[in-house]
Amino acid sequence: MDDLLAGFGAWQMWLLLGLNDIRQRYKRSRFGQFWITLSTGIFVAGIGIVYAYLFNHPVDEYIPYLSVNIVFWTLVAGILTDSTTVFTQAGHYLGQQALPKTAFVMRVLVRQLLVLAHNVVIIVLVYLAFGVALPATAAFVLPALVVLLLAAFLAAITIGLLCTRFRDLPQIIQSLLQVAFFLTPIMWRVEQLGDKAHYIVGYNPFAIFLMLVVEPLHGKWPSWDLYGRAFVIIAIMALVAAPLFARFRARIVYWL
Amino acid sequence: MPSIKLRDASVAFPIYNSRSRSLRSSLLARVGGTVQADDDGAVTVRALQNITLDLAPGDRLALVGHNGAGKSTLLRVFSGAYEPSTGAAEIKGRVSSLLDMTMGMDMELTGADNVVLRGVFLGMSIAEARSRIPEVEEFSELGGFMHLPMRTYSSGMRLRLAFAISTARVPDILLMDEFISVGDQTFARKARERLEHMIDNARIMVLASHSAQMIRQYCNRAILLQGGCVAREGAVDEILAAYQQGQQP
Repeated sequence: MDDLLAGFGAWQMWLLLGLNDIRQRYKRSRFGQFWITLSTGIFVAGIGIVYAYLFNHPVDEYIPYLSVNIVFWTLVAGILTDSTTVFTQAGHYLGQQALPKTAFVMRVLVRQLLVLAHNVVIIVLVYLAFGVALPATAAFVLPALVVLLLAAFLAAITIGLLCTRFRDLPQIIQSLLQVAFFLTPIMWRVEQLGDKAHYIVGYNPFAIFLMLVVEPLHGKWPSWDLYGRAFVIIAIMALVAAPLFARFRARIVYWL
Repeated sequence: MPSIKLRDASVAFPIYNSRSRSLRSSLLARVGGTVQADDDGAVTVRALQNITLDLAPGDRLALVGHNGAGKSTLLRVFSGAYEPSTGAAEIKGRVSSLLDMTMGMDMELTGADNVVLRGVFLGMSIAEARSRIPEVEEFSELGGFMHLPMRTYSSGMRLRLAFAISTARVPDILLMDEFISVGDQTFARKARERLEHMIDNARIMVLASHSAQMIRQYCNRAILLQGGCVAREGAVDEILAAYQQGQQP
């Protein structure tokens, strides 16, 4: 708990670290950090055109749908991928100085939110290109994003801790994320699944948190059912993360 | 009031990827802490064992011992980076360790950016760290290089910059692994003056060193570490004599 408060207290540290991560990665390239936007854009365009024909969807309806999903999936997958190395990457700092561990979790969130900020450009461009108006429900993205980040914070602590101790886990999580990408309504619509949708979407945490954020952008009002499920998952994650972190926080340095 | 209290503190590293297979060879090693195998065959390195120690303002402690005796590990316990695996460590006061001055610096960022980054790790706010840039620029004599990426610096220039920012503020507790010397003759003199000012003003100072001369000059207490244990504790001259005796069997 102290670590948590100290972690938030060191906000200037994680803000700066997260910012520098992005700055440093693209420092010497011509397009700089807009490679983030560009590579996601290419992905959306490629998948969008192929699947629009495959599913027999009109392109001008499918691509806006897909772009929103992909952009927010990139956030979810990015946070989870980065959290596998959150402490190992910070090993150099943690071995030298007493620093709050949660500050490095916040750094990952800042880094991925900056990536999101670059990717939002794509949604704007796609909406403009296809003449899609922003639905009235769009403002509900913001509370959903807060809920998502809360879950992401808890997940990142747990994953980061376990991945520092068990070095095979990052690879396992990578593969699981790939499977999750196909089991989550990103490229397809829930309605396409028919009756069985409930089993794949209703209990899939990836689907629940993704739908929470993207549905307002697809013009749907937020549903209590979805928020309820999200908070149940958050409660479970908190029950796992809190004792785990309290017990093993000090051991992280020894595992590095 | 700054203080350091260790009660029966031990530090043991579990080594998960080396099974007891390699135990025999590590037991033959003459340096390093004690290597032990658990019941399940996992290897642990006991870097420090049952250290009890009190440091109060005014203490200038020297850590003496051969390579692998636990000096650096003990410094890291003092810095708060390692919480003891058993026992307790209570550290009060703002610690500044000159163990790795370039920690947190980024080769792609400019010197000025790195001053801010390093400053924030030293506990400054971004605004405060930024306000230190001109002072650091002047002390390190880097001039126009301040606004070039750090990878264009020579290793001497990197150290100058790291030294200038690391010593910008006097901490309550100062930790040093060997006395630092940076740069060419004129700069080394300047750096030494600044470091001595820091040593004089820090409430507690701990220096791990092999140099008897440095220890005599700056310390008023000493402990001799052997295989992760405190072998002897006392006045500087007494400990240095014991250490030198151990060196020549």
